[in-house]
Amino acid sequence: MSTRRPGSNGANGQDGNSVVLGPKDRLVGQLFIEGDLNVSGTVDGSLEATGDIEISGGGKVTGTVTAYNRLVVGGGASLIGGEVRVARLTVEDGATFTGRVSMGKAEAKEPRAAEPIAEPVEVVIAEPEKPKAKRR
Amino acid sequence: MDVQEAVAEGAASAENGEVKRDGRKQFSMGPGDILEGKLIYDGSIHADGRVEGEVRVSGNIDVANGATVKALLEGSNVTLKGAVEGAVTARDKLTLGKNARVSGDIQVRRLQIDDGASLNGHVRMGDFEHQASGQ
Repeated sequence: MSTRRPGSNGANGQDGNSVVLGPKDRLVGQLFIEGDLNVSGTVDGSLEATGDIEISGGGKVTGTVTAYNRLVVGGGASLIGGEVRVARLTVEDGATFTGRVSMGKAEAKEPRAAEPIAEPVEVVIAEPEKPKAKRR
Repeated sequence: MDVQEAVAEGAASAENGEVKRDGRKQFSMGPGDILEGKLIYDGSIHADGRVEGEVRVSGNIDVANGATVKALLEGSNVTLKGAVEGAVTARDKLTLGKNARVSGDIQVRRLQIDDGASLNGHVRMGDFEHQASGQ
């Protein structure tokens, strides 16, 4: 009894979507995934996933990586990154890892609630005071 | 037999946190200790409390959980479990523990980052040109 959609493997992404690039797969360009991404092939370009990204096996990624949740770079894998933006990061011993790392909630470009629109401030222009009658 | 002046020194330096272990020197700090300035040390350091400045050692650097470090760190194996702000160079391996919070550029030969650690900075990996460090 499975109500899961095909391709759903119950991974961490809320929608359960998961994409796997196997050892013989190769991607040149940009990839955006709503869900998780597992790379054990070669990627030359930029990767973005709303869930986790795992570079495993002998996976080699050259380029920008953005994971809204977690990035794992396995022991035999390599990430020669330009920009690496993640919320959580695990680098296993033996991995090759180079790049500029930004971590923290604000860094992953999560869809943020629109900023509250500033209330227009009422501007009161004071009437010029009537010159008072000079005393004394 | 001449029992060197090191005995007297040893007694004094033990209070300064210097302990000999396996014939290798270890500079050991406690959670209430403060180090400010530049330390070049032939041995290893266990850093706790507060460290500010520059620390270059021939051995290993170990920053305890709860320590606050604002310094340039250079050592063979560097293990960070506390908050570190500054450039870090590990001639061999850098390990970031799950409570590590590191902000600064790092240069390493090998790298391990445990889940939970936080890192903001540029990572360079591989053999690096020998700088005019402690060598």
